Amino acid sequence: MTGKTALLALHLTVLAIVIVSELIGIHRFQTSIATITILPILYAFALGIALNPHFGLTARFLDDKAVRFAGLMIGVAIMPFIAKFGTTVGPQLQKIVDAGPALLLQEIGNLGTIAIAFPVAVYLLKMGREAIGATYSIDREPNLAIIANRFGLSSPEGAGALGVYAVGTLIGTFVFAIVPPLVYALDWFDLRALAMSCGVGSGTMLAACTGSLTTLVPDEKDSILALAAASNILTYATGLYLSLFVALPLTEWLYSKARPETRAKREQP
Amino acid sequence: MTITSTPDTRAIDADEVASGLTSFDERQANVLNYLAYLGIVSALALSVNFIATGANPLDALPGMTILVAVSIAGLQMTKLIPLKIPSVAWISLLAIVITIPGVPGSAWVTEAVGKMSFLALATPVLAYAGLALTETEFRIARTAGWKLVIVAICVMLGTYLGSVAIADLSLRIAG
Repeated sequence: MTGKTALLALHLTVLAIVIVSELIGIHRFQTSIATITILPILYAFALGIALNPHFGLTARFLDDKAVRFAGLMIGVAIMPFIAKFGTTVGPQLQKIVDAGPALLLQEIGNLGTIAIAFPVAVYLLKMGREAIGATYSIDREPNLAIIANRFGLSSPEGAGALGVYAVGTLIGTFVFAIVPPLVYALDWFDLRALAMSCGVGSGTMLAACTGSLTTLVPDEKDSILALAAASNILTYATGLYLSLFVALPLTEWLYSKARPETRAKREQP
Repeated sequence: MTITSTPDTRAIDADEVASGLTSFDERQANVLNYLAYLGIVSALALSVNFIATGANPLDALPGMTILVAVSIAGLQMTKLIPLKIPSVAWISLLAIVITIPGVPGSAWVTEAVGKMSFLALATPVLAYAGLALTETEFRIARTAGWKLVIVAICVMLGTYLGSVAIADLSLRIAG
């Protein structure tokens, strides 16, 4: 099979996936806690994984090259999506400016991963230096590059970061589709806060998060999209520096406090 | 950024990982390639948009064309402007500028792109994302073990909730 045929097969597979996903459509489940919405994007991702040649079903016509090309196509397909997101900001510019301080400050909230995940990894799961790479940030590509630069990807820190990266790639979309509606159901937080926090991760996480929020509160669709878009741009601009100059040193310092050699020895039974 | 690999005997090889992850160098491909790829994406998005919203693909075509034009322009800016900012950031900024009320044509642009549902644009991305998972990624996820799965969920929850909490607090203080 030639390369061109495999690439054509890739696009046709995607066409089939998106048509089936959209025909299934949006489904809502009313649970006692919250309304869970299952969006076509989740079906598309699940079908994409199921049809990945890794599982054999499509291995006959999708080769290794097609898989790599699919990686390139994510980068291409995300561009008009991000552009559409940007176009929601312009008309809402005043609202965005009004929420400016919150938008800037919520970037610091990304350090919440250290508050929650670091203790779990170090104290509950007794992880070693993997915990540093795993918990210092949400471990998307830019964060992975920082770890690669500082420790190398074959270090324990690198293994931790790569593990969270790979798991996040597999289940992040689902987590970001389910969690925001649950948090919304708590009724503790401003919807605008939930919306602007959608921008903390990857593009697919952004899509899942805003998709579930806009389906839940369609009247606020415009401001949800605009706030998420604005926060997403800020993450590009500031996220790298925050994780390089604050999050990583902080996590390393916490680790040195949590696991000084002496205490590690004393804890031995 | 370069990836420094330390020679050791661990199971994970940095070079293999770097080439096995679903990322690509956006400076390598040229504009014509991108136009072709964006054409495929447009066809997919217009089909999805039609099924999802019932919008006639011909009515949605101007909006889709604008989004493609913004994408290409953003890519060019990434090449021309020597700052380490990813192209999606330029694309966002450009899209914002052309929709600010008062900018010539902004009303028309806003109306045209309004015919494209943002979720319709996301569906093809996710389909490619599922297909793009490499053997390396499957292997890392499989060997990561249950501990890293728990940690990864805590990381995502912590990042999101931390951001929500601070944003909410700021909104309350600022009004």
